[in-house]
Amino acid sequence: MVDTSQAQLDAVASIEHEREESARRGARAARRQSLLQKLGIIIPFALVLVAGIILVPSFLSASNITNMLVNGAILAITAYGMTMVIALRGIDLSVGSTQAVAACVAAVSVNAWGLVPGILAGIAAAIALGLLNGVIVTKFRVPAFIATLATLGIYRGVALLFTDGAPVMITDTAFRSIATSSLFGIPVPFVLSVLVGAGFWFVLEKMRFGKHLVAVGGSPESATDSGINVKRIQLIAYVAAGATAGLAGVLLASQLGSVNGSLSTGLELQAIAVVVLGGTSMAGGRGNIVGTFLASLLLAMINAGLNLLNVPSFYQYIALGVLLVFALSVDSAQRAAVRRVFEGRVA
Amino acid sequence: MTTTSAITEPEATRTAPTSSVTSTILSFLSHQYLVVVVAVAFIVVGLIKPSFFGAGNVQNILFETAFVGIAACGMVLLITAGLLDLSVAGVIAVSAIAVGMVLPYTNIGLAILLAVVIGAILGLLNGLLVTYVKIAPFIATLGTLYLFLGASFIWTGGNVVTVTSSNFRALTTDSIGFLPYPFLTLIVLALLTYSLLYRTSFGRTLRAMGSNQRAAELAGMRVNQSKVVVFMVAGACFALAGVFMAGRLSSAEANMATGIEMGVIAAVVVGGTSLRGGRGTVFGTVIGAMLFAVLSKSLNMLGVSSYWQYIVTGAVLVIAVAVGARRRSAAEVRGAG
Repeated sequence: MVDTSQAQLDAVASIEHEREESARRGARAARRQSLLQKLGIIIPFALVLVAGIILVPSFLSASNITNMLVNGAILAITAYGMTMVIALRGIDLSVGSTQAVAACVAAVSVNAWGLVPGILAGIAAAIALGLLNGVIVTKFRVPAFIATLATLGIYRGVALLFTDGAPVMITDTAFRSIATSSLFGIPVPFVLSVLVGAGFWFVLEKMRFGKHLVAVGGSPESATDSGINVKRIQLIAYVAAGATAGLAGVLLASQLGSVNGSLSTGLELQAIAVVVLGGTSMAGGRGNIVGTFLASLLLAMINAGLNLLNVPSFYQYIALGVLLVFALSVDSAQRAAVRRVFEGRVA
Repeated sequence: MTTTSAITEPEATRTAPTSSVTSTILSFLSHQYLVVVVAVAFIVVGLIKPSFFGAGNVQNILFETAFVGIAACGMVLLITAGLLDLSVAGVIAVSAIAVGMVLPYTNIGLAILLAVVIGAILGLLNGLLVTYVKIAPFIATLGTLYLFLGASFIWTGGNVVTVTSSNFRALTTDSIGFLPYPFLTLIVLALLTYSLLYRTSFGRTLRAMGSNQRAAELAGMRVNQSKVVVFMVAGACFALAGVFMAGRLSSAEANMATGIEMGVIAAVVVGGTSLRGGRGTVFGTVIGAMLFAVLSKSLNMLGVSSYWQYIVTGAVLVIAVAVGARRRSAAEVRGAG
């Protein structure tokens, strides 16, 4: 009699123990993950910043800082949408072409109708392209990377057809001054990137939509089973990716003053690199907007540094490739570390 | 047992051993259907523009088929194994530039061999990144695409490398009858690829890991090793395509094949190979490559802006995958997929 109750108590205690142990493991895994994730961006950021200041002449000059902030901001805005899509376990390879279409449409419309209609037309075009991506992925069930690889080609063709392969000069000076003007000494694109980033952060971290989005990325099946409308969320994310690519395209058009159909070729790689470097996992289920923002600035610093050192632009390809492989290795090491903690292979 | 039945079945029917007669006929018809599409497109455009039937144009189509098809032979192996390689344009550029650089100093055979070996080495890099660093194939090879392109720009200083050897040009562009050497090479390579995929244990491993990697591992297959090897084989195929392109263009440069990955993947997918892996059709891949060659030359002949080719290729790719997804889900409902 006494023995059985004792045994029951033991069993209860061992279950309790098991539960605590599992909670501890979960906490440890989360800690390790967030540490690796933060180190993955902060260490390279600090290294490049210090190296830039020491090695690169006039790295801290006002014009270079403005340049880095503007370029980083334009990339960051594109990458916010990409962060959402990747957190969803999707991908959008068509951002560069979308951006080219948006920039060309904006340029032509600004010349024809003026400032505000031009900006709106550019962003609307990009939203339409993002919507098409979303429809192909959700309705026709084409895998995201192949769907957006195809639309990468299609949209590029559209951009080139639209401009007939020739550059478009933008005559509107008000439009051209958007990217170069500043607010309290801070470039307008940078202010915009912070505002848009704050918006995306709020949506991802604080709103139900963001929780649902991360849940879909973590496990689409479970998300469906718990009653989340997966297709709707996917569709919205691709539209958001199109919209941010479009906004960035408009800013780019404003910065350059002249656009052509082959603008932003290869942008997808930069966008993916900064998203992954920022701590958003390619396996989905986790989005990190702040990391994306920092990583965009990091890439802008690297490119500016290489430019100031008169390194041929081809080397920027190599730098980008190495950076991407580094970011993905950190991502995969991070996942492996979490898996090990959960499987109890590491104390 | 699964393996023997898969091996004895003819190409079009080599799907899973559980496939019924109906799905066999269906999949065979879908190949025939593609041949019909190619033939109809060819004849219709020819009727509109009689010069389309000219020997020169037919040869152009065969050349284009060969470039995409040779690369697609590597790609079909990868896709069957559930992998992907987006670095095609980079591998082609590096290997073609290598040929252009060494031709003045060595003989043709060594130059081609060098290019193919370089292709295999670049493939090895892709394979190691995917297998051991565990980066998803499409993202790892997107990174190496730019890495290889960057390397080619640096190597050439952004200039064009001219191929002056007339013997090399003859070897890569001459023809027997109206069949150019590259096209004959494609036929031989396609036969080899088919044998590799359906007549060897390596091919069996590729198909097994394409349909279920975990099961293939548990069955004791050398999955990791096979992954690396298939990336190397694919890299060698891409390099071979680069060799012929260098001969045809009489030059090599970093931008020579930009964007070709989409055409290559499209040829494989349109040919009937499922992106889900586990099954591949080499014959369909060659026909797919031919379809895109006919389409692109038709657009040229009809005076359509070359920018439309991006749009047509992309649209055909999306439609092919979407139709495949639809058919697959129908098969799943019947429990036959």
